[in-house]
Amino acid sequence: MSTQDVPGSRPGPRALPGREADLAELLTLVARGDEAAFEAAYDRLARPVFGLIRKVVRDPAQSEEVAQEVLLEVWRTASRFDVVRGSAMTWVMTIAHRRAVDRVRSASAETQREHKVSVAAAVAPDGVAEAVESRLDAERVRSCLDSLTELQRQSITLAYYGGYTYPEVASLLSTALGTIKTRVRDGLIRMRDCMGVSW
Amino acid sequence: MKLGRHVRLGRHDLHGLTGVYALDALTGPDLDQYEHHLHQCPPCENEVRGFRETGTGLALAVAASPPPGLRERVLAAASVTRQLPPEVRQAPPARLRPARSPWLPRLAAAVAAAAVAAAVALGVVQSSTQHRLDQAQAENRSVAAVLAAPDARLAVRRTTAGGVATVVASQSRHALIISTSGLPALRGGKVYELWFVSGQTARRAGLLPAPAAGRTAPLLASGLAAGDGVAVTVEPAGGTSHPTTTPIVVVPL
Repeated sequence: MSTQDVPGSRPGPRALPGREADLAELLTLVARGDEAAFEAAYDRLARPVFGLIRKVVRDPAQSEEVAQEVLLEVWRTASRFDVVRGSAMTWVMTIAHRRAVDRVRSASAETQREHKVSVAAAVAPDGVAEAVESRLDAERVRSCLDSLTELQRQSITLAYYGGYTYPEVASLLSTALGTIKTRVRDGLIRMRDCMGVSW
Repeated sequence: MKLGRHVRLGRHDLHGLTGVYALDALTGPDLDQYEHHLHQCPPCENEVRGFRETGTGLALAVAASPPPGLRERVLAAASVTRQLPPEVRQAPPARLRPARSPWLPRLAAAVAAAAVAAAVALGVVQSSTQHRLDQAQAENRSVAAVLAAPDARLAVRRTTAGGVATVVASQSRHALIISTSGLPALRGGKVYELWFVSGQTARRAGLLPAPAAGRTAPLLASGLAAGDGVAVTVEPAGGTSHPTTTPIVVVPL
């Protein structure tokens, strides 16, 4: 198994700086049933996956269930990851986001969300490097979000972090559907350029 | 298809939906229609990719450490979960089929292990009679078919009794496989009973094997209908025809 960093000159998609290339390599190994590679992939993915799901789902116990489903799904469907169609991290985060919104949109989850008091999840200590890295990411993303118009920013965060459908976003912001559609797209274009996503 | 706003989306409207689509904010007929459009619109696909990468930035900004037990559970679950084969464009040549016993499933090791465990769990390998063996092999094939079904969906839920239930369900195969870990052993002959649940009605779906070393072996349950969820209750020895206790876990599918 190879987990060392691959030189940055590797061609292909680049989402955000970091060790994207070797995550893709890890997934290739995972697809072949390599459990050690899956452990390494888990260590790279657990924080992003759990963090996003908790942001959307909020309830810590349900977030943990969804995170477990997503990480198992990564194991189960690793052979379907195609580097040509996007970065490895994005492949995983797309699965995570879909599962998280599925959970909050299912009727049973709605009831549980209404009747359950959320408790703060137990948070394990972070590795220093990881924490710094994610704080830098967080700051960059926040400053990019700040560069958007208020309506663009609210539309994007309600849809992505809130897990709301776009008619729901339109209703929450008392704005026409067509306007939300346009603001989300314009806002994402600005975010993409601000974050330096090359695709 | 439902008439109304959805079917009147024009080509220009569709193109503008890239953003809401990439954020999973598109649902229902709009989503179907948009995905259809997407396959014929390479610039849209490209834009969606860029937006998804952007979404990853939003995700990484809220990264947070999961509770400590998750790692062990995920790794343990992976070790007993069959992986999807890669999508291969061409069908394998017919001559690769084993000629000697067409009814023997060609299983990967992991599936074979799970299938055997399920067969044992179902109590079909109780004697060496040909009938029993045939039955066991039929079960193996059913388990493999569910695990390999393109529409197989995996769900994991905690139970109120402790531990977690892992379900792989396939609507196209009308069946699911359930295994658990961390369920307490039951006293007095009581059993964990599985139910297909639809609205207020529950249909018997089988008895979970008794937990061994903290796990129940995979159970294959057939008869899954569209819209069904599954639930597990604790019942007296031999099970009952209707649930008599509150489910320890309900899994919507």
